[in-house]
Amino acid sequence: MLSSLDISTSALVAQRTRLNAISGNIANISSLTDEEGNPSAYRARQVVFQTDDSLSTSGASGVKVSEIKTDDSEPLYRYQPNHPLAIEEGKWKGYVAYPNIDLTTEMVDALETTRAYEANVGVMEISKNLGRETLSILA
Amino acid sequence: MKPIHSFQPPQRPVNPFTHGHGIKPGGASAPGSEAGSFAKLMGDQVKNVNTMQTSADSMVHSLLTGGDVNEAEVLTSVQKADLAFRMLLQVRNKLLEAYREVQQIQI
Repeated sequence: MLSSLDISTSALVAQRTRLNAISGNIANISSLTDEEGNPSAYRARQVVFQTDDSLSTSGASGVKVSEIKTDDSEPLYRYQPNHPLAIEEGKWKGYVAYPNIDLTTEMVDALETTRAYEANVGVMEISKNLGRETLSILA
Repeated sequence: MKPIHSFQPPQRPVNPFTHGHGIKPGGASAPGSEAGSFAKLMGDQVKNVNTMQTSADSMVHSLLTGGDVNEAEVLTSVQKADLAFRMLLQVRNKLLEAYREVQQIQI
């Protein structure tokens, strides 16, 4: 019974990581430079989950974050020749590279993460009540 | 789960004061090996529950002082410690109940 609590906790931790990545994506939706200030549009991060067998011995598996992938699709180019970060030469001369993040997709992902989190909290509630009910056999 | 027939019900005509079930009228545990193993079991369980509660306490402390811990893990460890403690409490209640029951036997 305690291992089912552990499994649900691993899911809560994983979903929280995913929500962190989504909030990072939304927060950086107009970040045009990287950490050092060089012109490079922010790239969306996607959290990848993986089953984790280390948590339980009874066949059920937990979940863990296997990696956080960086989206390598093309940035969105907007024509803003007067922008200080406008590209100066080449095919995209006069364009500014914006992060290729779709706000709608990110919000739907955030909603889905929230629902998954709630579902796991619900399972934990059930496990907890089961534990209490089982104790009432003895009491 | 183990099949039910593997549980050995206690033999009825047993004198609890000579066969050493861990509880004597004075409350001290019997020196017999069976009683010793039961007392050891209980002691180990108390230690386990204590460890769980201490670790839950330190995690709560770390959460409240802004440490880098996940609140889900903290709350789960608190909940696990709570369940383990309730289990121990019920076992202790059951033991005391049995002890009082035996104590009330009129000789």
